[in-house]
Amino acid sequence: MMTEKHNSSGLWSPPENFIQVNSQVPGVIVYAPKPPETDKDDIKSYTCPNCGANIAYDVSAGGVACEYCGYVAPVPSMTIGKAADEFEFTLETVSQSKQGWGIERQVLHCDSCGGELSIAPGNLTTTCPFCASNQVNVTTSMEETLRPRYLVPFKISREDATQLAADWLGKGWFRPKELNPNAVLRRFNGIYLPFWTFDTAIDARWKAQVGYEKTVRHYNAAQKRWETRKKIDWRWEDGDVYFNVDDLLITGSSSRQINHNYLEKIKPYNMGELVAYEPDYLAGWQAQAYQTTLTEAWEDAKRIIREQAKIACHQDIPTHHVRNFSMSADFADESWRYILLPVYLATYRFENEPYQLILNGQTGAVAGQKPVAWWKVWLVIAALLSPGMILGFVGVTLTLLADAGAGAIALGVIAFVIGLILSMLLYQKITRLEGKRG
Amino acid sequence: MSDNHETIIVEENQALWGTARQPAGCPHCKRVFLIKESAMGGICPLCYQAPLESQPALLRPKEPELLIPFNINKKQLQSLVDQFVSGVWIKPPDFQSDNLMQRMTPIYWPMWLVDCDVDGHWQMETGFDYQVESTKEYFSGGEWRSSKQIEDRIRWEPRVGQMQSHFANIPTPALENHQTRVRQTGPYPLNQAEPFANRNLGHSVIEVPDLTPDNAWPLAQPQAAKRAADLCAEAAGAGHGRNFALNAVYNGKNWTQLLLPMLTSYYLDEQGNPQVVIINSESKSIFGPRLASQKRGLRIAGIIAAIAGVLLAIALFSLILSALVPALRQVAAFVSVLGIGVGVTAIIPAVWPWQWNRQQGKPARMHGNLDT
Repeated sequence: MMTEKHNSSGLWSPPENFIQVNSQVPGVIVYAPKPPETDKDDIKSYTCPNCGANIAYDVSAGGVACEYCGYVAPVPSMTIGKAADEFEFTLETVSQSKQGWGIERQVLHCDSCGGELSIAPGNLTTTCPFCASNQVNVTTSMEETLRPRYLVPFKISREDATQLAADWLGKGWFRPKELNPNAVLRRFNGIYLPFWTFDTAIDARWKAQVGYEKTVRHYNAAQKRWETRKKIDWRWEDGDVYFNVDDLLITGSSSRQINHNYLEKIKPYNMGELVAYEPDYLAGWQAQAYQTTLTEAWEDAKRIIREQAKIACHQDIPTHHVRNFSMSADFADESWRYILLPVYLATYRFENEPYQLILNGQTGAVAGQKPVAWWKVWLVIAALLSPGMILGFVGVTLTLLADAGAGAIALGVIAFVIGLILSMLLYQKITRLEGKRG
Repeated sequence: MSDNHETIIVEENQALWGTARQPAGCPHCKRVFLIKESAMGGICPLCYQAPLESQPALLRPKEPELLIPFNINKKQLQSLVDQFVSGVWIKPPDFQSDNLMQRMTPIYWPMWLVDCDVDGHWQMETGFDYQVESTKEYFSGGEWRSSKQIEDRIRWEPRVGQMQSHFANIPTPALENHQTRVRQTGPYPLNQAEPFANRNLGHSVIEVPDLTPDNAWPLAQPQAAKRAADLCAEAAGAGHGRNFALNAVYNGKNWTQLLLPMLTSYYLDEQGNPQVVIINSESKSIFGPRLASQKRGLRIAGIIAAIAGVLLAIALFSLILSALVPALRQVAAFVSVLGIGVGVTAIIPAVWPWQWNRQQGKPARMHGNLDT
């Protein structure tokens, strides 16, 4: 279990990483493992040890780098991946989570220039307004486990992110001709967003009346012949479904700050690249602490998981005829992690309208709002509706002149209805793409 | 209590502990006792196989410090023995409660209690109870319902430390067959021990320790370590402990001899071998084999078989006569069926003692239902 240790005089002493703790029995001294460092007051400033310039985490260098003198310090962390610690829903954690951050604002002391900085709750990093040095602070949580312990570092550099976003913006026939992606995307902000991951094992039990189709023959007295018809036999059945939920991601950001639909679109993240949290990764980048508490996020996760369980139960039923369906889903071995994931955010203006764009800092997947040349959309809609209108016009004309346009009118109505449906679908798609209307 | 645990050889015919009892041994089971001179030559109260003979004994000259007095009256004893005997159907002739009562012998048997100081260092895994919240979701009538469940779990953490503690009254065997004896008698309420006094001995026989304190200490040490483990877990504020390791020196050992009361008796089985019965006068439990008599079972079976034979003979005779008197054919049929039925029942007394005695291979302690 532990290696016994004796000092040079032969006397016993506890292992190095053990400290004396309270004993409830006189005559018995107890040593326990030293708790992990909380770094409560350890706010790190990032300035170059060579030239004193501001330094930041550099994606291509894979460490903290100085853009002026070329100084690079690798981050002392290793990839842990899915082996990263997971936490149980202990009653203490749940209770502490419900209390939230519990701190309105924090005052940080800048080690670089001695200035006093005030940071808003939920921000893990800031830049000193006096000396411009980057500051990283993760001490705003009261509870050790509710601090980010792991993160996925940025893999996409700002330049690559800009290019990927420009490519995405440049695609599509409905793009306005005036839109020059390289011109509008001046600045991408790299930010670590908070996420909760959840694991659990589900044992779902369902019970329902399941219908089986069968063909029965009967005699039709009126027709004086034997006929067949389909009949459904209903039987009560039940079943069990087991499945595991692994790293279900729920955002810890408020929907007022980030559009959650766009966050969904840039998933997935590769959890195999999780690393232990090191402030160096955050140097020069923005990072946000969770706004959605663990319990709120878990409620969201449970809603998703139980729907997955319901779908799994329905898939377990051999037919699609189901009624009086009921089920229970037993959650077991529930665990969670609080992690930071890399995202690039950009807000650009086109024709005085702001547009938001979001990019996965690990995979480069892009989602967001896109300007649309609406005259092109209306042109396509007109093209879709015109065959029906033309046919209808021709039909009406023929009816008036030769009393022979009924067929053309009917075809025209059908073509118009089809055009109308396609136009509505196109309109919905474009408005979603633009993200401005509806 | 005494820290003097030296042993000496006590010569035969030498009274000891101021009890007017002399050492005597059983040549069959090799047990040594202190008995009154008048009991010399009497049968061994443990094996009931050979008479006790005067012999020297190796024991501590100092008298025992503690004793648990007998706590059972004759009525309770009779009731206990009656219950013990009554459960057996085909008993050996000697297996009667009167015989057991007449042969009852009170014995005090020894054990050690040792005090010691423990000074050393330890390590263990300590377990702390905690609770987690789990979920169960129900879907019925198009709606979801959620219920929370609380589960108890143990978190294991390493702890090390030092201890300087005093452990008192660690129960330690004074007999080599201590475990067997405890299995036979069951536990004793050690907190009811009283200072040793001659007046409590009465006519009882005292069994002499065959483990000296020095020999008994290796058996006491695991008990001390177990106490140390419990103490260390308590010191760490843990509810559970495992993988305890202690590196310690044990000083200031202080040995106390405690005498425990029991009653023995015996009955003769059908081969004439004595079957020993042991009674714990504190817990009112009785232990011993309750053997049935195979010979008597076979004898009863033989009688039943003979009756069956007679019935079959009558049936055969009736069958022959039925040639003359046809009505006798029905009588023959009825009597033959009756004869076969009676013959089959003869198997029961033949087999039952064998089956019963097989179950008595590992006799269990029996607790009496007594009116106190």
